[in-house]
Formats: sequence, structure tokens, C-alpha cells
Amino acid sequence: MIEVNNKEKLDWFEGMTVQDVLDKMGYIYPRITVSVNDQLVNKEDYATYKVPDNARVNVFHLAHGG
Amino acid sequence: MATKTKAGPTKYEISINGKTATVVEDTYLLKAVMDAGFNVPTLCHHKDLTPDGTCRLCLCEVETNGKKKLVTACNYPVRSEIKVKTNTEEIKKHRKSLAEMYLGRWPNVETIQNIAKLCGATDKEKYKSDITDENPKACILCGHCVRACSSFMIQDILGFAGRGIKRHLTMPFGDVDPHCVGCTSCGYVCPTGAIQITDEMNNPVDPELIRRHGMKVNAEMATLDKMQNRMREVGTANIVEVMDAYDLLPVHNFKFGKHPDTHKIDSKVMTRDYFTQGAADACWLGCSMACAKAVDGFELKTGPYKGEKVVVDGPEYETAAGGSNMGGFDLDFIVEYNFYCDTYGIDTISFATTIAFVMEAFEAGIITEEHTGGKKLNFGAMDEALECLHEMARGEGFGVEVGQGVRRLKEKWVKELGADPEFLNDIGMEVKGLEFSEYVSKESLAQQAGYAMAIKGPQHDEAWLIFIDMVNNQIPSFDDKAEALYYFPLFRIWFGLLGLCKIVWNDVAPADNSKYPPQEAAKIPEHVENYWKFFEGMTGIPVDEDKMLLQAERVFNLQRLMSYYFGRGTREDDMPPLRAIGPATVEEYLSREERYDKQMKEEIGIDPEGKSAEEKLAITRDHRFKQYNKVIDAAYKRRGWDENGVPTVERLKQIGIDIPEVMALLERPDQ
Repeated sequence: MIEVNNKEKLDWFEGMTVQDVLDKMGYIYPRITVSVNDQLVNKEDYATYKVPDNARVNVFHLAHGG
Repeated sequence: MATKTKAGPTKYEISINGKTATVVEDTYLLKAVMDAGFNVPTLCHHKDLTPDGTCRLCLCEVETNGKKKLVTACNYPVRSEIKVKTNTEEIKKHRKSLAEMYLGRWPNVETIQNIAKLCGATDKEKYKSDITDENPKACILCGHCVRACSSFMIQDILGFAGRGIKRHLTMPFGDVDPHCVGCTSCGYVCPTGAIQITDEMNNPVDPELIRRHGMKVNAEMATLDKMQNRMREVGTANIVEVMDAYDLLPVHNFKFGKHPDTHKIDSKVMTRDYFTQGAADACWLGCSMACAKAVDGFELKTGPYKGEKVVVDGPEYETAAGGSNMGGFDLDFIVEYNFYCDTYGIDTISFATTIAFVMEAFEAGIITEEHTGGKKLNFGAMDEALECLHEMARGEGFGVEVGQGVRRLKEKWVKELGADPEFLNDIGMEVKGLEFSEYVSKESLAQQAGYAMAIKGPQHDEAWLIFIDMVNNQIPSFDDKAEALYYFPLFRIWFGLLGLCKIVWNDVAPADNSKYPPQEAAKIPEHVENYWKFFEGMTGIPVDEDKMLLQAERVFNLQRLMSYYFGRGTREDDMPPLRAIGPATVEEYLSREERYDKQMKEEIGIDPEGKSAEEKLAITRDHRFKQYNKVIDAAYKRRGWDENGVPTVERLKQIGIDIPEVMALLERPDQ
């Protein structure tokens, strides 16, 4: 089990990547910053960065203005 | 070795002077070389401009499958495993020759002298000729200014004319182009001082300070926008599909947050089939964000201009989302109502939110065809919605009633039709008589309060807090939310006071904004500083966060007090309809039953098992209003207002506006 933004719980699976987390959460907004257990993850690594079990994943969305 | 993954970019391991580096596909070689710690001389390269490859100084040797060739590193995208050498004898020879030629032509330009030194070129005489320019601030034809005009401002005011030794910088036909707005981007990027800014039209105290910070925004738009919100490509409508994905796009009078047909009105369709203009044409020529879009040659299907082809300014996000709110998932309809609202002088948001309310009332049987002049105003009734709009403009029929807005319709239907006031108040999306703008705020307490407490009514120009509250969960406590409801409205009011657009604050962000912790990152500190410097550069008065907040807070409190004096601006005026803070009908509850049941169990502490949908709706309603009252209590306290939402004398003293004229506003004539 992992926790996203100190709120949502997701079932963990072997090989789970940051991109898997984003897909499961439906996070498609382009201006996000992702950290896994407080480690920043670069955008180009989302598809390869492995999320360990029990990880705290933070996906910070910048506000849109309007 | 190349690594390709399902969703991620391809990466290559390349060798640079024997050192291995991992590079994402399409990275320009110059960046890869610099990132690997090697220095390569450049002249025409600029970090904020698209590469040009004209000065040839960044030549590097690239070896692919045993074949070697020289390439200009600045515009060579890495697309395979290559071996790179940056400083072979052959390269050094080429660079030296080039530098000698540059030196021969512009011997006294400091930039050229530095390059020459770097390349080992010392002989100024070798290429001296009739075209040698002794001016230390000569134009060296690097093209920075031409590219800045194009990529910063989306203009082509500057360009090159002539060939070979006759090549020179010019405006069209060698004359001053009246389209030049004097943005000064060209002067900013010029490396030699050949372009000097001589006319400071608004007499700022420190034009350089303004320029330095303004150019940062220009550069971000030129380089980062296409990977961020695509404001230049599609404007604010970029978030139609984003809002749908986050269950935040208003559908059927804000009942729902997404719809299977959203793909018919999203930004991809707008870009592909509708937008024909995307130049910096809207608020003012010279804005590098250029977020306004237009549709050319749109043939109208209804109304007084039926059959004519027109230009339509828009649609923006709110207008498109107004479409989904009315159930109109058709861009022809959205562009048409956009055009006629603009033409008649009607706000698209108020129109769409009012029609959505009318549609729900029609479906609920509160009004019938008898009241609407025969129009079947179900959700998705686009022709009928447009007919209401035309009637509104002509001052005829049911459209006149619709034109009164949600609040008056509620009052009228209760009084004349005996409609249930509680139901209409629950679903009528207005506060202070203004219709809600187009976001679903049900799952964000801070957004609910930001909307409903806004002095003008439920408009997000005081606070747009959905992401930091609902999605990021970074302001979980009431005090956190109150702090956000203190800072963001004041900051946003402050740009309003200065007459500055807020979109350049947060619809593009510096590439390294993530270096700040989330609470600070949400403010985009570097952009806040830009605004402070614009203020200082114009007035000569330095400003920081405290001073900014004080300036805004004085005006904010004055506005609130004026509102109070005229009979509004108290707690009851800050109360939202139920639908803004939670599900208002059984249908809505059941549409997100799993979410609401989970919240009931975890947040309210009541087991939903065995309860009817009506019972669960009642429990949720009660809980949500309690939560809402708690958040505005916290916000009032943080703002220094009493529990009725009225600024306290103590606060007015603290912020220095306890003058008799302001204090008199506390004496309400009706009390």
C-alpha cells in the first residue's frame, strides 16, 4: 500500500512506477512536481522510477490562474 | 544503450570526450556537452532562444557507426548513441579561423574579443577589410534580436536583409515598423549594445529593473509554455480536459464533474478545428503570453446574423465549461453562444450558469413549456438556450426572465409558482446575486470559501485553491485554509490594484520552481518577486511581502466595509448554495456514492450501512454546512473580522485606515 498526498491509499504492486501512480490517480495536469519519500523525481524518469511499497508519494500541482 | 519505456522518453548513453552521459532523446548536443562539464564557445546561442547554428563556433565531432562528421552542437538533437569530441585539432583549427574572421570584421567588440581569446585568435589584421567596423558596439549579426522578436513576442518586426557582406539588420522596407510596441526584448538580448533603448514611454524610475524581470517572463513563455499550460497554443481552454479528469468540470448545473462527451469540446478539438488566430492580439499587442484565441470565418446558425461569417474572440475555459454546464457538448454551440454573448454585451459565465439552473428547474418540473414560451429546456437543449439568449437581447419572452439571473428567478418562482425555496436555494448557483464561475467546488472547502466570500460574488479571482486544497492536500487544517484565504485573495487583489494580469503569475512557472517546499512553491516566489520589481521599477518604492499585503489589505477591507454599509458583506452574504459545497440531490449523491459513503464513515464517523440515500444526503448536508461555517470562522479570524464577517476596529487600526470616513462605514444606515 502506498499513500498519495497524505490522503489517498493505493494498492502497491511489484514494479510500480511513478507513471503508474499518476495514471491510477488520473493526474494529467502538466505542471506537477513529484516526490517519492521526499526524493524529487524528474519528469523524464516517471516511467522508470520504481515506487517502493509503503512509499509516501507527493504530487504537487501548481495552481492554474484564470 | 538506448532505453525505451512504454510511456517515458527514450534515453541514450553517449560518450563525450570519453565521458559517458545519459541524455534524453532530442536534447540538443550543446546542452548535453555543457551538462557534462565541457565548455564550448558560442556566439549566436542564447539560453532563452531557439538555436540557430549560424555562428558555427560550437562545432563538435559526432561519430555514428564509425562515421565522423562535424555538426553545430547548439541545434543538433541527440537521437542515437554517439561518440562526441568537442576539441579535436580539426575543430580548434576551424574555430580559430572563424574567430579570426569575426575579429577582422569587428575588432573592438568585447564579445568578439572574448571569443577570439577563447579560440586562440589574436591576429586582428588577418581579415581586416573594407567592411571592418571599428565601432565597439557594432551589430555582429548574431540574430538574437530577430529571434527574440519572433519567439518572445510572436512578432517579426526585426529581420535580416541582404546577402553575404551586405547582410544587415532591418525592419520591413528599412523603415520603422508601426507594429513595434517597444517591448525592448531586442535590446535585452543584444550582446554588444548595438541596440539601445532610448525611449522610455511611461517614464519609469528604473526601466532596467522592469526589463530584467519582464524578460524572464518572456523567456519562460518562449521556452517553457509549450511543455506547461500551452497558453500560446490554446489559452485558458487548455484545462477543459484537465478539469474533467479531476472531476471538476461543471456538468448539468454543477451536479457532476465530468462527462463522457467532454472530448468533443476539449482543447484538442479547439486547436484542430476552430482556433485560427493565436497572436498576441488580445489585451494588448506586446503580451508574450498571448493567451487569447480567435475563430475566423465562423458561420452563425441563429440570430440576427444567421448565415454570416464572423470572427469570434474565444472561447476561453469558462465559456467552454459553461457549455458542459448546460449539457452542450458541441463546440459549434459554444462558439455561437460565445459570439452572441460578446455581441449583446452579456457575460458568458452568468448566461451559462443561469441557463443551467433553468434547465434543472425545467427537468424538475418547477417550470414547464407554459413558462418558457414553448421551449423544451432540458439539459443539452442548445437551440433553445440560444433562443433564450436572443430573446434576452430583444427584450422579449422568457429570455427576459432568464436575463434577471439566478437570484431573481428563484425569488420569482417561489413567489409566483409556489416552488420549494429550499430546493431552489440548494441548486441555484449564486452568491450575492452573482452566478458561480465554472468550477466544481464540492471537494475543496478552501475553494468554496474563496468563491462565496469573494466580495463581488463567487468568482475565483480572489482565490483558486482547488489544487492546493483538494488535490495536493497541502492545507489540511482550518488554520492552513484560513492562511490561504488570507494570502491569495490579498495577493490577487494587489495585482488588480496595479492593473497587472494575474495569468503571467501562475500559468507559467520557472523551470526550477520545485526547489521550494510546496507551501512556498504554490506562491511561485520568483514570479511574486517579478511583480514587486515591476512596482519598484515604476514607482521607485521597494516592496516586499508585508508591504504588498498591507496595500492590498487596506483596499480589501475598505471594499468589504462599503459592501457592509450598503447592506451586504456579512456572514449571511457569504453563504453558498448546498450544491457548491456538496451533493444537493439524491441523484448526485448516488453518482459518487462510494466517495460520499467513505467520507461519512471516515470523516463524520457515521456508518452509512443500511441508511437510505435520502438519510445519507441529509447527514452529508448537515456535515458540509458545519465544515463550511468552521472554515469561514477561521478565515474571518485570520482576516481580523468579527464572527459576522465585519472588519473589526482593531484591525482597521492595525492596517492604518481607521480614519473618520472609513469608520463611518461601520454605521450601517439600515441598522
